[in-house]
Amino acid sequence: MAGSNEVNLSESKMVVPLNMWVLISNFKLKYNLLRRPDGTFNRHLAEFLDRKVPANANPVDGIFSFDVIIDRATNLLCRIYRPAFTEEPQPSLSDLEKPVDAEFVPVIVFFHGGSFAHSSTNSAIYDTLCRRLVGICKAIVVSVNYRRAPENRCPCAYDDGWSALKWVSSRSWLQSKIDSKVHIFLAGDSSGGNIVHSVALRAAEAEIEVSGNILLNPMFSGEERTESEKKLDGKYFVGLRDRDWYWRAFLPEGENRDHPACNPFGPRGKSLEGIKFPKSLVVVAGLDLIQDWQLAYAKGLEKAGQKVKLLFLEQATIGFYLLPNNDHFYTVMDEISSFVNPDG
Amino acid sequence: MGPFDFAAAAAAASSSSSSSGSAPKHPPDLDGLLAGAGYKVRSSELHHVAQRLERLETAMVNSASHIPHLASDAVHYNPSDLASWVDSMLSELPHSSSLPSGFPDPYPTALGCGWLDPCAPQPHQNVVVPQQQQQQLTVVAALEEDSGIRLVHALMTCAESVQRGDSSLARSLVEEMQALLARVNTSCGIGKVAGYFIDALSRRLLGLGSAPAWTYENEVLYHHFYEACPYLKFAHFTANQAILEAFDGHDCVHVIDFNLMHGLQWPALIQALALRAGGPPLLRLTGIGPPSPDGRDTLRQIGLRLKELARSVNVQFTFRGVVASRLEDVKPWMLPVSPKEAVAVNSIMQLHKLLGSDPNRDPPIGSVLPWIRSLNPKIMTVVEQEASHNQTGFLDRFTEALYYYSTLFDSLEAACPVQPDKALAEMYLQREICNIVCCEGTARLERHEPLDKWRARLGEAGFTPLNLGSNAFKQASMLLTLFSAEGYSVEENEGCLTLGWHSRPLIAASAWQAVPSVVNSPTGVINPNDNNNQL
Repeated sequence: MAGSNEVNLSESKMVVPLNMWVLISNFKLKYNLLRRPDGTFNRHLAEFLDRKVPANANPVDGIFSFDVIIDRATNLLCRIYRPAFTEEPQPSLSDLEKPVDAEFVPVIVFFHGGSFAHSSTNSAIYDTLCRRLVGICKAIVVSVNYRRAPENRCPCAYDDGWSALKWVSSRSWLQSKIDSKVHIFLAGDSSGGNIVHSVALRAAEAEIEVSGNILLNPMFSGEERTESEKKLDGKYFVGLRDRDWYWRAFLPEGENRDHPACNPFGPRGKSLEGIKFPKSLVVVAGLDLIQDWQLAYAKGLEKAGQKVKLLFLEQATIGFYLLPNNDHFYTVMDEISSFVNPDG
Repeated sequence: MGPFDFAAAAAAASSSSSSSGSAPKHPPDLDGLLAGAGYKVRSSELHHVAQRLERLETAMVNSASHIPHLASDAVHYNPSDLASWVDSMLSELPHSSSLPSGFPDPYPTALGCGWLDPCAPQPHQNVVVPQQQQQQLTVVAALEEDSGIRLVHALMTCAESVQRGDSSLARSLVEEMQALLARVNTSCGIGKVAGYFIDALSRRLLGLGSAPAWTYENEVLYHHFYEACPYLKFAHFTANQAILEAFDGHDCVHVIDFNLMHGLQWPALIQALALRAGGPPLLRLTGIGPPSPDGRDTLRQIGLRLKELARSVNVQFTFRGVVASRLEDVKPWMLPVSPKEAVAVNSIMQLHKLLGSDPNRDPPIGSVLPWIRSLNPKIMTVVEQEASHNQTGFLDRFTEALYYYSTLFDSLEAACPVQPDKALAEMYLQREICNIVCCEGTARLERHEPLDKWRARLGEAGFTPLNLGSNAFKQASMLLTLFSAEGYSVEENEGCLTLGWHSRPLIAASAWQAVPSVVNSPTGVINPNDNNNQL
């Protein structure tokens, strides 16, 4: 794509529904405006352009949400999504954290995507996605508003994820009745998927139990240029130059893409053998240029003796899970639902 | 019978059917899934927008050097209106006028454009669309203590019994809550705001109504509220930005302020006009305010102070005070405007006071909005609390207010402003709480309604939105960084700006223009009825 005056967009048009194409292209173009060549980010314009929705303690389609500041020192906010109570249609302020009534409720701690720089918990696309997760998985979702790059580099996002995990695991009202334990699943897309890995690692080391990891198109990379990166560069909404920019913005200054945060199974990666790591569901889109890294991640887990299920969706592009008008969406949602519920 | 509104209680019973809370009504033509992502695009326009996006991408690649300009200088408006946004970006780029060769014109029926047939028809009934509902309760809270939760529970039960007309239960609950208060931390969080609500409930049960608002005292409290937190500053700042832009190119300008108070909003505008390229215009300010209880002519005094300031920066300035206890008492003949001048009508938290009335009469807003239109204003700036405190059901109103004011008090607390600003600011808010909880009919002035309702109301009255753009947004955001507390957030909401605490918008600023009787749309107005097919 670099150097050509004609933009070849015909391929991406053929594989996604029109409104999906409009949505993702819209993001692509807007994000182009926000990344500055000097590595800084136009945060004001980013916030202005982002479509946000407030929480809503009134149930909509059977789901309500509310925001909680879980750490005043860093102003870390989480948005919690719950199914509406059957007896009391409108929860009052004191009911928001009413103890879970079911024998088993998966609590999904969700990290939104955005390549570490974009989006927030209250971005419309992620608010909608979290609501869908609640409905489909019969779960409670805790969406974490982690600090973003480039203003806050690695490991800020991981620290925030860790704070959120600790907070969730210590909420008695989130305990499943069957065993008075909070059954936590970590989930995230793009950069959120990357965060899932790091937080799970920290949890394993601290012996906080995480029942499973869900990584949707997780963001990983390395110094090497892989086949998929060369083949798919610029073809399906994403190019290497923007990927490189985001890593430069997130990783500590002076670091390269073999930093373990970026390349957990690379030359500087840490071995996961013998570690009590949660089972993982890794979803890879066949038209995502970084798929080789995502496949390598899944393979790395496997080689370390960890339980991993790989879901490879050949014709899926990035962001396919943002709208429910394609088969991939339903395939993945079904998989996630089985993954988080007992016997899954 | 007391001050209860039994008719309202019955209405509330039917309005609390939130378990069936369904997606709001969008114009049926909008793509439901994109709407869920925050973008309003008509299904029939989807192909057209896609092609414009394609063209924009090509233009951006071909004019890569222009990208910094697009990002930092170009003003962006209302990103939800995707079609307009794309077009405005295209208009900023030099190479967008030439079509790539062989590119077909947009025809929705032809699949020759290359896109997949939009798969299955959108399953609208399954769409989870973000809500712009009448009732929108958000919470930014961390309920730590048990007694805090018990207190809130008691408050809800008490409000519910008030709505049902069970005053004896309500009274005993008030006593119980007063006892609970003693065990809860009342210096912050839920304990602090609960105290005010318990107090207000108690007053309502005693039939006391809210304390009479002594004008002078109210002005003092207002001033401290202005100092203690950024809400009013944001209101003034954002309104002034919009007014300044609207006044561009006009030599005679006239601002009509619906609530002058101490005229805190105007020095900044006067100074900005003084620095205007090409020199300042002739500025007239009409300030409306209540009569002073002690016979002083406060309005005139403030006018004189502003005149002094204007003189010091060489702005020709005249002031006129209009005394009125209520906005609906103002008659158009009291506000003469000249056809030569550009008129700005400025209403900071005043319009909601016009929504209440006695049972058999229409709310005064119905007569006030037309006379505002008759002034033919170039712009009307409106700032209102972003809350739904005008619901007929007492419980709904009470609940919403509890959420709203606890967030507001939370922000006051965390922003750590100096005393006595904080305490007096809290008193200012306490009066609002009291009015919402204790009063009915014409006595209930604090009838806050959310943006969506104002949009509908102003739209019906013949006003169209003037979008506040990314420049105003950026400056407002930067203004906020002057405050040490991190947690205030400015958000863009379809052409309007809101200021909130964390993720909860608390006040909303918008700008409006009267629909002209002539066919041509004036420049700068993005008319939602336009087809946006500009090339």
